[in-house]
Amino acid sequence: MTRLPMLTTALALGLTATAHAETTLTVLMIEGLDKGAMEAVAAQYMREHTDVKVEIQSLPWNQFFQVSEMRLKSKDAAVDLIYTDAPVVASYAANGYILPFDAAIADDAKAKLVAPSVATGTYDGKLYSLPMNSSAQVLYYNADLLKAAGVTPPKGLTRDSITKPDAIAQLATGDRWTFEQVAEAAKAVSGDEGGKGKPWGFAFEQFAELYQLQPLGASLGSELISTDAKTADGYLNGDAWTKAATWWSDLFNKANVSPRSLGFGEAAQMFTNGQLAMFVGGTWNVPAVAKSSINFGIAPHPKFADGKAATPTGSWYLSVTKASPDTAAATDFAKYAALSDEGTDVWFKTLNQLPTTNRLLDQINADPAFDAFPANVMRLSAWESRNTAAPRPVTVAFSQLQDAFRTAFTDIANGVAVDEALGTAVDAYNEAAARLNRK
Amino acid sequence: MNRSPIPLLVLTLAPALLGLAVFRAYPIGLALYESLYTTIGGERVFAGFDNYLMLLTDVGFWKSLRVTLWFNLIINPLQVALALALALVFVQKLPGMAFFRLLFLIPIGISLPVAVIIWRIVLLPEGFLNGALGIVGLGPYRFLTSPDFALYSIIAIATWKGISYWMIFLVGGLQNIPPEINEAARLEGASPWQRLWLITLPLLRPTLLFVLVADITINFLLFAPVFMLTGGGPRGSTNVLMYEAYKSGFVFGDMGRAMAIVVCLVALLLVIVAIQFRLLSSAPKEAK
Repeated sequence: MTRLPMLTTALALGLTATAHAETTLTVLMIEGLDKGAMEAVAAQYMREHTDVKVEIQSLPWNQFFQVSEMRLKSKDAAVDLIYTDAPVVASYAANGYILPFDAAIADDAKAKLVAPSVATGTYDGKLYSLPMNSSAQVLYYNADLLKAAGVTPPKGLTRDSITKPDAIAQLATGDRWTFEQVAEAAKAVSGDEGGKGKPWGFAFEQFAELYQLQPLGASLGSELISTDAKTADGYLNGDAWTKAATWWSDLFNKANVSPRSLGFGEAAQMFTNGQLAMFVGGTWNVPAVAKSSINFGIAPHPKFADGKAATPTGSWYLSVTKASPDTAAATDFAKYAALSDEGTDVWFKTLNQLPTTNRLLDQINADPAFDAFPANVMRLSAWESRNTAAPRPVTVAFSQLQDAFRTAFTDIANGVAVDEALGTAVDAYNEAAARLNRK
Repeated sequence: MNRSPIPLLVLTLAPALLGLAVFRAYPIGLALYESLYTTIGGERVFAGFDNYLMLLTDVGFWKSLRVTLWFNLIINPLQVALALALALVFVQKLPGMAFFRLLFLIPIGISLPVAVIIWRIVLLPEGFLNGALGIVGLGPYRFLTSPDFALYSIIAIATWKGISYWMIFLVGGLQNIPPEINEAARLEGASPWQRLWLITLPLLRPTLLFVLVADITINFLLFAPVFMLTGGGPRGSTNVLMYEAYKSGFVFGDMGRAMAIVVCLVALLLVIVAIQFRLLSSAPKEAK
C-alpha cells in the first residue's frame, strides 16, 4: 500500500496550494516576448496580491486568432483575460465575448492614456479593452544609395545622433518628407528597372495592409468609413482615398520602383542587404537595421505635400472575458497591468515597446537616457503617438474591411484601375456592415 | 438452403452506406440546418431564409458565381477532352509507350498542395516559365497576379493535376469495348475518325458520363489552388464560390452566409448533374 501516503501528500499539497491562492486567473496571449513581459507583470502583481495566482497561457501567432475566437465563442471559463489585437476589440465586444470596464476605470484610462489608444478600446461608448502598448512607423533610408542617385537624404536619426526633445519636435514638424518626395527619390534610385540591376526605391513593410496604408488617406484628411461605421461610400472611394491610391498605383504601374509583394520581414531584409533604398516600417526593425553595415537614417513617417502628418498606431490590448468566473479579480489585474505605475513600468522595461501612458511618454521625452540612438527613435515614436496617430476605425466588420482593403490595394498594385478596386472594396464593406449591424 | 439474401446485402453494404451517411449526407444536412441560422450580437438566432434572401442582393456572391460558372465552363470540357485524348494514346501499342504511360501517371502521385507549390515556383515573375520565355524574348508575365492570366493559370494547374486521373477511368472504358467491333468496322472500310465517332465514343458513353459528373463535381468544389496561390484575386478573378464560402465562414466567422453559399453550390451541382444524366444516359438514337 504505497499509494495511499502519496495520495494523502498530494491532497495535502493541493489543499495548501488552494489555501494560499484563492483565485487563479488565466491570461491567454501570443507566444514570444509579449508573454515574457506579461509573466513579469504577473509576478510583480502576485507579490502584492498573495491570494491571487496569475497564469499565462500562450498560443503561436498563426493560431492565436482562430483558437482564441473558438474559446471565447464556447464561453470557456478557463480564460479570464484575453490579449486583444486593437482591430478585433469591436467584434469581441459586439459578440459579447468581453466585458466593458466601469466608468471609474474608463475615466482613469482617459486621464492616464493617450486618446487614440483609448478610442480604439472603446465600442458603443464603453471602454472594453485596456491598451498594453502602442506602435509607430518611421521612414528608414539608405543614405549612401540616395546620395549616389543625386538625392539629398531626409533629416533623420542616425547611429551617432543625440536628439533632445525640441530637436525631435523640429524633425517631426519641419523636416518631415512628403510622399511625393519619397516617390521622386525612389525613381532616382531605381530608374525604371523594376528591381533588376539597380536596387528598389521604396516599399512599405506590410504590403497593402490597412494598418500600414491608412495614413495615406488620413494624411489627406479622410477616414476609411463613416462615423457610424455603416458605410465606406464617400470615404474609401472619395477624392482623398482616390488620390492616395493613385499615388500607390504609380509606385508600381508607372514608376516601377516598389516590389509588388513582400513577405513577413522581407522589407527589412532587403533594406539591410542594400537592395532597397527606403522603407516605411515599424520601430521594431530598429535593432536589425542598426546591426547592419548600411549607412542608414530614420526619418519621420512621410505625409502628402498638401496634407497633414498621420501615422499608424495601435497594438495589443487586455480584456476581461464575460465567461470569467471571477471578473472582479480579472478586472483588477487588467487595471494593474495597463494603468498602474508599477504594472506599466514592468511591462515597458521588459518589452521595450511604445507605451500608451502619458506618464511613460513624458518620461521618454524628458529623460536624457532617451537622447542617444536608438532610444531617441522611441522618443520620436512617442511624439508621433501624441500628435499624429490615426487609430484604425472601430467597426464590427473590421475583418471584412481589412480584407477588402488588402484586396483593393493588392489589385491596384497589379494594375487594376483605382476607381474599380476602391468601388469593389466599398461594396464588400457595405455588404458586411449591413449584415453584421442587423438588429 | 434458401436463406434470404437481405442480411448479407445489408452487412456488405453497411460500411459503404455508413460512410455515405457520415461523410456525405450528414455534412449536407448540417449545412442546410446551419444556413437557416445567423449570429447577431454574439447570439445564434434562427433566421429562416434570410441568409438566402441576402445573397440575392449580395454583389460579392453574384460575382463569385459568375467566376465559378466561367471557370467550370472552360475547365470541364478541356479536362475531359484532354483526358480522352490521353486515354486514346495510352491504349495504342506503340514503341516507347511504357515510358509515356509513366509520365502520364506522375501527376496522380503528387498531392495537390505539393503540386500547387511547385507550380507557384514555375509561374512566379522570376520563375522557371518566365525564364524560359525570356530566352525567346517574351515576358515576363505575371501569371498569378494579373487579372487576365490568374484564372487560366489555376485552370492549367488543375488540368495538369486532373487529366491523368480521369484518363485511367477512360482507359478502363476503352478496354471494355470488345476489339471485334472496331475490327469489323475497320474491315467494312470505316476511317479512324468514323470509328472514333460512331463506335468508340457511343460505347464509351457510360464511362464518359461518370467522368464528366465526377469531374464537374470536383471542379465546382476546387479550393486548394485558389487558397494557396491567389486568395481569390486579382480583381476577384479567381474568387470561386468555395473560396467565398470559406472566407465568409472561417475568416469572417459568418457561418450562416457561408452555409447558404454552400447549399446554393450543392443545389447548382444537382441541377447540372441531373441535366447531364438526361443528356447522356438516353440510349443512342441509331440503336432504336
